Formats: sequence, structure tokens, C-alpha cells
Amino acid sequence: MNPTPDIDRDDWLERLLVDDARDAREAHVDDAGFTARVMSALPATLLAPRWRRPVEWALWGIAGTAIAATLPSMATDVARELFRLVAAQPITPMHVLAALAAMGAATFGGAAFVLRRE
Amino acid sequence: MTDAELIARAVVGDDRHAFAELVRRHQSAVRACLRRLTAGNHALADDLAQETFVQAWRGLKSFRQEARFSTWLYRIATNCWLADARKRKETLLGDSDDAIADEDDDDGAPSGSSGGDHARGTALKVDMERALAVLSEGERAAIVQCYHNDLSHEEAAFVLGCPVGTVKTHVHRAKQKLKIALASWAPD
Repeated sequence: MNPTPDIDRDDWLERLLVDDARDAREAHVDDAGFTARVMSALPATLLAPRWRRPVEWALWGIAGTAIAATLPSMATDVARELFRLVAAQPITPMHVLAALAAMGAATFGGAAFVLRRE
Repeated sequence: MTDAELIARAVVGDDRHAFAELVRRHQSAVRACLRRLTAGNHALADDLAQETFVQAWRGLKSFRQEARFSTWLYRIATNCWLADARKRKETLLGDSDDAIADEDDDDGAPSGSSGGDHARGTALKVDMERALAVLSEGERAAIVQCYHNDLSHEEAAFVLGCPVGTVKTHVHRAKQKLKIALASWAPD
């Protein structure tokens, strides 16, 4: 163990642990096919092919352009109908509080997810 | 070629030969560490070591060289062992007898046929594995990292994913228990 001030070198258990650890480190574990087993157990590829990401972006672009071309007024129609639905509802302070609580919970949950330990 | 160069080749070029070289370099230390953590259960230790290297391959892109590669491997190995131990809900003392019976000679140590030092080392190894089985998971992991793997308290804290103070507490409590379990080794 690396030297630390709280270690008493006269302690018999300390010497026992150090001796045992030294013996264990000196005993090399033979590979005996272990590396081959690991390599055969690895998943197929570490990296996606280099062409994959540009192709994905291109496909998304084509899909978006196609939707925009075929349904030019869809987005504004959806937004307008959503606004009408919301505007038709009476909004009370309880609604506002519930919305704030929901946003707070979503923010907290999102932050906890992002900051979670590995 | 250094570990860092091999890692770069494995990550950037998807070079499996480079990763195989890393496995060859570190397999002995990782397997020995896991054998201690599993109280001498070589078969389980090797399964966990294999899982450790598979996880290392998957996570190699996230390795930032903040710690030594070996320390990072110890961290993965310890997490694999903890996850497995919790899954099995192992009865530590009960398992230890089977584990010690499972020992073989594949690390090249003949069983007590030569000099006194070797016989003492073999007896100490058996008694130490039996004694380590008495400890809680956290205590055992702290002792293995600080002594067997020769890590500082700070490095052990990185491996165990806990504060340095917790490592020191685990080591202190572990030594109290080991003093009782290994009382026959105490000088008269």
C-alpha cells in the first residue's frame, strides 16, 4: 500500500496484509486462452461506419423536405388548432400552479438523470 | 507501445488487435484482483474478468485518461463484482469454503511442497481468503484495492466510487475484523 501517515508499520496485521499482497502480485496469472475468450465475446463493432452519420442526416433532410413540400400548411394548422384548444379552456391559478409544478418536476427529473452517477 | 497508444488505436481505428494487447497486459492483475474479491472463486472471478473487459471495450470511448488504465479497469471489475454479489445475495461465510476448495494451481503455485517461506505464503493466502470472506462487500473491496492492488486511498476512492473518508473507514473496520479472523497469525 502506498505510504500513508495512519499506517502503523509495527502492526502485525499490517505486515501480514502487505506480505500477502506482495505474494499475490508476484504470482502471475497465466493467460491460458483468456484473451481469446474475451475477444470472441466482444460485441460486433466499437464504432459505427464513418458513412453512417452523413447518410442518416441526409435521409432526415429528405424526409423533412418531403413532408414540408407535401403538407405545406400542416404546421401552421396544428399550431392554430392547439392555440384554439388552449384558449377555449378557462385558466385558473390552480392550472398555473399545476403547470409550474409539472415543469419543476420535469426539470428536477431531467437534471437528476443527466447528473446521475455512472 | 504504451497503453494510451493502444487505446487510441482501439477507439479511433476500431483496432481489435490493439485491444487484445491491452487485455493480455492487464488480464493477470484484473483476474488476481477479482479472485481476491470473490474469496478465491477462480471460475467466478474469470467470468467477471471477461465481463470487465467487455464493458471496458464498450466504454473505451469514455475513458478520459484521468486515471491509469489499470485503475479504470479495477473500477469496472469492482462494479461487476458488486453487481454480481448483490444479484447472488451471497452468504459470504458459506461461500468461502466452496471457493477455497475451488482453488487450483493455475497461477503456478505448487501446494506447499518446498521451503518454509512458500508454505507460509500458501497458508497465509488460504487464511487471508477465508478472512476476507468475513468482511462486508465495501470493506473487502477497500482492503483489496488498498493492499492487493497497492492503490492510494484517493485511487481506491475513485475505484469504489465513494469519498476518501469512506475508504478509510472501510479499511479501519476491515482491519478490526481481520485482527479477529487472523488471530492465529498474531505474534505471541
